[in-house]
Amino acid sequence: MSVAVIAPDLAHEQSLLLAALFGEIGDPKHTFKGVGLNSQRGLQALRANGEALALRALTAAYPVTAELIGSESFEPLASYFWKQQPPQRGDIAQWGGGLPDFLDAAPQLADEPFLGDVARIEWLLHCAATAADAVADVASLALLAGDAPGQPTLVLSDGAALVASDWPVVSIIHAHLLYGDEKAQALTRAGGLLKRGTGERALVWRQGFKPQLRLVSAAEYALLSALLSGLPLERALNEGFAAPPDDAQGPFDFSAWLGQSVQTGLFTGAKYIENNIENNIDNNKECTS
Amino acid sequence: MTTPPQPQAGIGWRHPHYGELLQSLPALDFLEVHSENFFGAGGAACAVLRQARAHYPISLHGVGLGLGSVAGIDDWHLEQLARLVAEIEPVRVSDHACFARGTLTALPGRAHRQVHEVHEVHAADLLPIPFNAAALDVMCANVQRVQDRLKRQLLVENLSAYLSFNSSDRSETVFLSELVKRTGCGLLVDVNNIYVNALNAQLGGSAADPVAACMAWLDEIAPGAVGELHVAGHQHCGDIVIDDHGSRVSDAVWLVYAHAQQRFGNVPALVEWDTGIPPLQALLDEVGLARSPQTAQAELA
Repeated sequence: MSVAVIAPDLAHEQSLLLAALFGEIGDPKHTFKGVGLNSQRGLQALRANGEALALRALTAAYPVTAELIGSESFEPLASYFWKQQPPQRGDIAQWGGGLPDFLDAAPQLADEPFLGDVARIEWLLHCAATAADAVADVASLALLAGDAPGQPTLVLSDGAALVASDWPVVSIIHAHLLYGDEKAQALTRAGGLLKRGTGERALVWRQGFKPQLRLVSAAEYALLSALLSGLPLERALNEGFAAPPDDAQGPFDFSAWLGQSVQTGLFTGAKYIENNIENNIDNNKECTS
Repeated sequence: MTTPPQPQAGIGWRHPHYGELLQSLPALDFLEVHSENFFGAGGAACAVLRQARAHYPISLHGVGLGLGSVAGIDDWHLEQLARLVAEIEPVRVSDHACFARGTLTALPGRAHRQVHEVHEVHAADLLPIPFNAAALDVMCANVQRVQDRLKRQLLVENLSAYLSFNSSDRSETVFLSELVKRTGCGLLVDVNNIYVNALNAQLGGSAADPVAACMAWLDEIAPGAVGELHVAGHQHCGDIVIDDHGSRVSDAVWLVYAHAQQRFGNVPALVEWDTGIPPLQALLDEVGLARSPQTAQAELA
C-alpha cells in the first residue's frame, strides 16, 4: 500500500537513484551529487555496497552452487543477477529465489545443466532454516486408525519440499559438504553418477533447527508429493505403491517409513481433511509470504 | 531534568557473538539486533533471540522499512515487524531516515533483460532523501503508519549519506526536528554518522572543523527528542569516508559522543560493529567507554 502523499518530483528523484544503482544510466548530476573528493564517488560507494551485499547473500543461500561455479565467476554473476532481479523486500534473506531459473537459462552455464537443480535444492534448504518450528502432535497419529468421518492425512512440517532432478543433485550437494579425502571420494562418486546420467529425487525438511536433505525413492516421492498436495493418506499411499519400483531402494515399507519420519521430524502429526482438495505444490520463490 | 549518573549501554548483537554472549552473559544494559534478521517464522535465529530476551532488554533496530519511500511501507515488512515486536516486547524500536523502496522504470538497454515483470524494488540499502517539504510529508506519513500499527513510538536514525539531493531546501536537523514535532517519533542519533558526514563535507571543500560541525549539529536537536545514541567505527578511503562499522570508535567520535550525552541527558548508547567483527571483549571495552562519556572525554584530552 502506498502512502496517500502525492510527491511526483520526489518519486522521480527516488526512481532516478534506483535506476542509477540497478540500471545502466550514469550519474544524474542535475538531481544529486556524491559527497567526498569526487562527485561520482558517493554513487560508486552505494553500488559497491549493493554488489557486496548480493555476493554475501547469494553465497550464504547457495554455498554449493557458488563453489561449483567458482568464486571468479560467481562474483560477477552475483552482481549481474543483482541488477537483473533486484530485491523486492527489505529482508535480504528473502532475495535470490530466482537464481535457479536464472542459472537454467544462462547459455554460459549450458555445460553444467545440473546447476539449476542444485541451486533449487539449496534455496529450499535456505527456506527450511527459517520455516515455522514444528510442534509435534504424536497423539494425533491415532486419527490414522480412527473411524471418525473424514479422511486422515499426515501433516508435514513447514519447509518440507521435494525436487525430482535428471541429475544426481543430492550426491553432488552431499559431496560438497564433506572435507578432505572423504569429499574427494564423494565427488568422484557423484561425477560417476553424472556421467551415467543418473537422476535423483530429493527431500528437504528440517529436523530440529537443522535443514536436512536426503534421497527418496520413486514410491516415497509419489507418497510425499501427494501429501504435500493435501491428499488423504489413503490416496497418497496408493500413489506411492503405484510408483515404479526402484531397484536401489527396494520395496517401500510404509511402517518403517512412518517410524523413521516421526523420529526425524518430517511430519508433525495427523489430521482429518473434510474436502478432498488437491493443491498445487509451489516451491515458493520467497521463503515466506 | 535529573541527569542519570551513567548512560545505559549495549552492543549490536551479531551472529559471531550469539553463542559466547549467551554463555558468558556479560553485564550489558540491552542488546540491539537488526529486526529483519528475525523475520523468519521459526528456526535457530528466532530461538536464540528468545533466549537472549530472557536475560536482556532487546532493542529492535530495522534497516528495511524505507521510511522515506514515496512507495510507502511494505505491508509484509510491517506485519513481520509487528509480529516480532509483539513477541519480543522490545525496549525500543527504530529504523532510518532513508528510502529504499521505489519503482524501476523501463530504461534503454533493459528491454531484453529477463526480469520480474513487477518493477517495484527494494534497494536493500539506506538511501538518502532530500531535506524538503515533500520528503518530510512522505516520511511523516510512513512513520505515522508504523507507529499506528505498532502502537508505540518509533526512533528514527540519521544517515551517513554518500549523496546529497539538489532539491534539499533545509538542514538535516531542521528536517528531523520537524519530523519529531509532527509525528511524535523520537530520534536515534548516530554520532558516527554525523562525523562521517562532516568528514566527507570537509573532503568536498567545507572549511568547517568536523568535530565543531558535529557539536553544532547536536545543538540544533532538542534534548527531549533523542531516545538513543549509536557509536561505531568508520574507514578513511582517501577520497571518501565510509561508515563501515568495522573498527573501534575514533577519538573524535568519542568527543562528539560526550557532548551528545551532556546535551541529551545520558540516553542509552549502543556500540555497533558489523564488519570484521572482533572478539566480544573488544565490544565490551567500547561499552565501558560509552558508559563513562566524561571519562572518555578526559582521557582523550
